[in-house]
Amino acid sequence: MNIHINGQAYKLAHENPVNVTAALALYFTEPQQSTFAVALNSDFIGKDDYDQTMLKHGDSLDVLQPIQGG
Amino acid sequence: MSLSIYGQRLDSRLLIGSALYPSPAIMKQAILASGSQVVTLSLKRQNPNEQSGQQIWRYLQEIITEVDGQLLPNTAGCKTAKEAVTLAKMSREIFQTDWLKLEVIGDDYNLQPDPIELLIAAEQLIKDGFKVLPYCTDDLVLCQRLYDLGCEVIMPWASPIGTGKGLMNPYNLATIRLRLPHATLILDAGIGKPSDACLALEMGYDGVLLNSAIALADNPVLMAKAFGQALQAGEQGYVAGIMAQRQTAHPSTPTLDTPFWHQNN
Repeated sequence: MNIHINGQAYKLAHENPVNVTAALALYFTEPQQSTFAVALNSDFIGKDDYDQTMLKHGDSLDVLQPIQGG
Repeated sequence: MSLSIYGQRLDSRLLIGSALYPSPAIMKQAILASGSQVVTLSLKRQNPNEQSGQQIWRYLQEIITEVDGQLLPNTAGCKTAKEAVTLAKMSREIFQTDWLKLEVIGDDYNLQPDPIELLIAAEQLIKDGFKVLPYCTDDLVLCQRLYDLGCEVIMPWASPIGTGKGLMNPYNLATIRLRLPHATLILDAGIGKPSDACLALEMGYDGVLLNSAIALADNPVLMAKAFGQALQAGEQGYVAGIMAQRQTAHPSTPTLDTPFWHQNN
């Protein structure tokens, strides 16, 4: 199963769906140390929904963090 | 005299950006020197193995606490209403504020806001409980529609983002002020020098939002002070009541008993 996180492809060894929490573990070494918010296929996913939101083949996750802005 | 944004009273009429400064330390000094209590910031994809974004976030939190201020997340980079709404919800979760500088860009060349997508996004976000501060062009009807939707604050541009060209169309801006007397009007983007900010306040605008003009100055901290003073001057000038322009010259010095005067026959 292939998914994308911030545009980068991740190939999972199995075909079973994974939840957002598991996908974030692929992306961050220590997710709990970072401030971020998540969108799945351009739809916001709140933190309370990470465990129950499942990703399927071809899904795209955006993980955004604070940055300076004007 | 203070600025009110969605009922929150602020001592300064300057909303300031957090980008483009030579260093985080100079950013902090400039924000403090400006007197601003509203600081804009954003969300982006970042390298998960770098902690620079995390450090900046902590730094901005410290600044906001120090000035007893308010964060203003933006939706920079969004080109559709859907993107803006999603990014707004992500920002609200992280920054814990309903305030949102709504940006929906319609043209890459001059970063001009897309008025149609902007209206769609504003309507949805207001339904979702956001306090929307839309960045828009100086189009009177667009500003009116945004206000009618429930945007208590409207932020027309002075000129395109980052140009420093100042007030491109003072007539349009003055007309918006005249026709929307109850809206909180913040002039956003394109401001290049303190006199631009002063002019906006003299026109009756409630405040200005800027970033590049301070961050890209040779001395950002000194420029931040200059903007703070320019805003005070502009506000006091507006409140004091500016004299009406006259078509012809009128001598300031009394003409009675003018020396060397004599009757010409």
